Amino acid sequence: MTEFLPPDEMTLDGAGDALRSGVATGAEETRETDRTFYDTFDGLLHAERLELVHESGRLALVETDSSRERAGLVTSPPTGPLLAVELPAGPLREELEAVCGVRALLPLVHVHSRVRTLRVLGDEQKTVARMSLEEPKVISDSSSETLLRPRVRIVAVRGYEAEFDRLRRRLVSELGFKPADQPLVDEAVRAAGELPGGTPSKIKVSLAYNQRADEAAVHVLRRLLDVIEASIDGTVADIDTEFLHDFRVSIRRSRAVQRELKKVFPSAALERFREEFRWLQRATGDARDLDVYVLEFEDYRAMVPDAMASELDPLLTVLRDHRAAAHREVGRVLRSYRTSRLLADWRSFLDRLVSLPADDRPDATRPIGEVAGQRIRKVYGRMIKMGGAIDESSEPEVYHELRKKGKELRYLLELFGAALYPDDVVKPMVKALKALQDVLGQHQDREVQVATLRSLRDEVARLPGGAAAVMAMGVLVERLGEDERAARQAFAERFEAFASNSQRKLVKDTFG
Amino acid sequence: MSQVLATYNIKGGVGKTSAAVNLAYLAARDGYRTLLWDLDPQGASTYLFRVRPKIPGGGRRLVRRKTDITELIKGTDHERLDLLPADFSYRHMDLALDSFKRPTSRLARVLAPIRDDYDYVFLDCPPSISLVSESVFEAADALLVPIIPATLSARTFEQLLERVDGPRVFGFFSMVDIRKRLHRDLIARFRLAHPAAMLGAAIPTSEEVELMGEERTAVAEIAPGCPAALAYETLWLDLRRRLEGPQATLTTLREPQ
Repeated sequence: MTEFLPPDEMTLDGAGDALRSGVATGAEETRETDRTFYDTFDGLLHAERLELVHESGRLALVETDSSRERAGLVTSPPTGPLLAVELPAGPLREELEAVCGVRALLPLVHVHSRVRTLRVLGDEQKTVARMSLEEPKVISDSSSETLLRPRVRIVAVRGYEAEFDRLRRRLVSELGFKPADQPLVDEAVRAAGELPGGTPSKIKVSLAYNQRADEAAVHVLRRLLDVIEASIDGTVADIDTEFLHDFRVSIRRSRAVQRELKKVFPSAALERFREEFRWLQRATGDARDLDVYVLEFEDYRAMVPDAMASELDPLLTVLRDHRAAAHREVGRVLRSYRTSRLLADWRSFLDRLVSLPADDRPDATRPIGEVAGQRIRKVYGRMIKMGGAIDESSEPEVYHELRKKGKELRYLLELFGAALYPDDVVKPMVKALKALQDVLGQHQDREVQVATLRSLRDEVARLPGGAAAVMAMGVLVERLGEDERAARQAFAERFEAFASNSQRKLVKDTFG
Repeated sequence: MSQVLATYNIKGGVGKTSAAVNLAYLAARDGYRTLLWDLDPQGASTYLFRVRPKIPGGGRRLVRRKTDITELIKGTDHERLDLLPADFSYRHMDLALDSFKRPTSRLARVLAPIRDDYDYVFLDCPPSISLVSESVFEAADALLVPIIPATLSARTFEQLLERVDGPRVFGFFSMVDIRKRLHRDLIARFRLAHPAAMLGAAIPTSEEVELMGEERTAVAEIAPGCPAALAYETLWLDLRRRLEGPQATLTTLREPQ
């Protein structure tokens, strides 16, 4: 830690004097500085103890604990959501892509500081360390200011680490400074009324085996609804593709709970919600598919011979146009009365559920451990049957149906199994299931992509360079088809692992 | 990956060190992580940055990569500006390089481990034509050649332009006395003849540049508004503009603006 807080009773000037005492320092330099911190909506950098900060013309990725810069770039501050892929090639883009993937970086908080810097001098008046006394304040969008606690920062000069260590020891043991209890960015975020770490899209709910099933379901569904609601603004503003993805995953997970635990709900009320959730899922499907096409476009290029790679550009233009249109439609759907009414009704329904009569809800008061275990076993058994009937000549729909069932099982395992059953059973099961789902997903995606490419052929052909693009698309369709066949071939092996005798016995013994 | 820029001239006393120190200072000031490697055994830039001209193990071990280059680097008085100090043993660097099969690739290999740590690496080269300069040519992305406004110096630069085929070569006039007609004429003629290679700044002979030795810092710190400081600013801006080529972009969600 290189940041410290002065002792409570010490004034700012007192802190300055204390820093200067006992060491040779150069003249004090005072400057005003502005920093903007960035992170993804779900706080991916925060989770890795990293900070992305723009200060004095440089955008830098800094390690929170050591203050070491991992990578940086001289650039003006990003004006809108920033995707790592939009940065110029170099270490900063690589580091950010590795941590944030396709999530956009958004401005988190602006901090303006008055900084007094002292150079600690060694022989020949050479700078051997820097100390600064900073008075930071958070500047909100409406230009209101919130003062933060002053803090002292000491910065090592490369090659003079011993001096830095000496200074640090002196600050703490002789002068009574305390290592900062939280990074500046976290203090600033709290002062701005937010919580550090963003809004996670992964939910973690603690459940007890003997808890009433309806209560457990409400627990899980409420958290899913939180994610759904939190994803709407970002989806409508089209900040990055993960808002819509998180939205859809949470809708799908909610639907899985509605279906798999249907006997904890009153059937008539549930019916309406199931229909409406299905509508939301369908109304957002095209936009998600098109997101994936554009995100994976570089992979498409890599699938065709080098000479053809750039000839696919007209296809990209068409995909982007379709994507923009689909997102406008999603915006309309998510901003509609129907959606807001649905989500408000769903929340109040969840609030009331446990207090509703249990007459037509036979599973409502049963222990969730029992109900979920039973469902896991049932769905697993159903998948074994479905998968057993598949061979390489089966219709694509059959693979697709199995994949849908697989998602249901996965959600049951993740939402309930993980909280209620031993890790050493659930984790390997999820792993085998994921491996199976990967090939089923590849199969399904390729199938749909081939159909989409065919449907776009005429539109692409009409653009400048369209003829060459259609030729390249033909090669691409061929390659996607090969991928689909490869997935079919890989299926048998993955399914065997998933459906092995030992796995079946484990499921029976654990969830039976 | 950093850009490696070498201030080079076969002659001494033409403003190589001043250029290296001032440009490195401006790069760091503008937010770039910058390293200056003082390859000149006289250690002038090392002196200007108040660092001892000594590296443990000397130049021979360094080019043999027996010493960890990252351990030798020293921070300077300026944020983001580091120095790899000179050492008197650099005077034998030619001999050290000669013992390798491919001596000219050596400096590039020595720099390889730190290329990602810096945006710019400046090499302040000793005056000569030798294995050291050949090795510098291979390591550098661009040579920055200070030219004093005299016919012979200009000719030497033209020979260099013809001879060097690795790095880009940029020239700029140094130690210029703008009151002299000869200087003005030669500069105008030369820029016309080599518009791509000549940078649009001329560093004047000035007291402030001479003061660098006394004050042990860059001109921009001694007298930020003086003609020499402004000339280095112009040189730096022009250089940056020419080095920053068009960027390749990957597929983004929307059409690039």
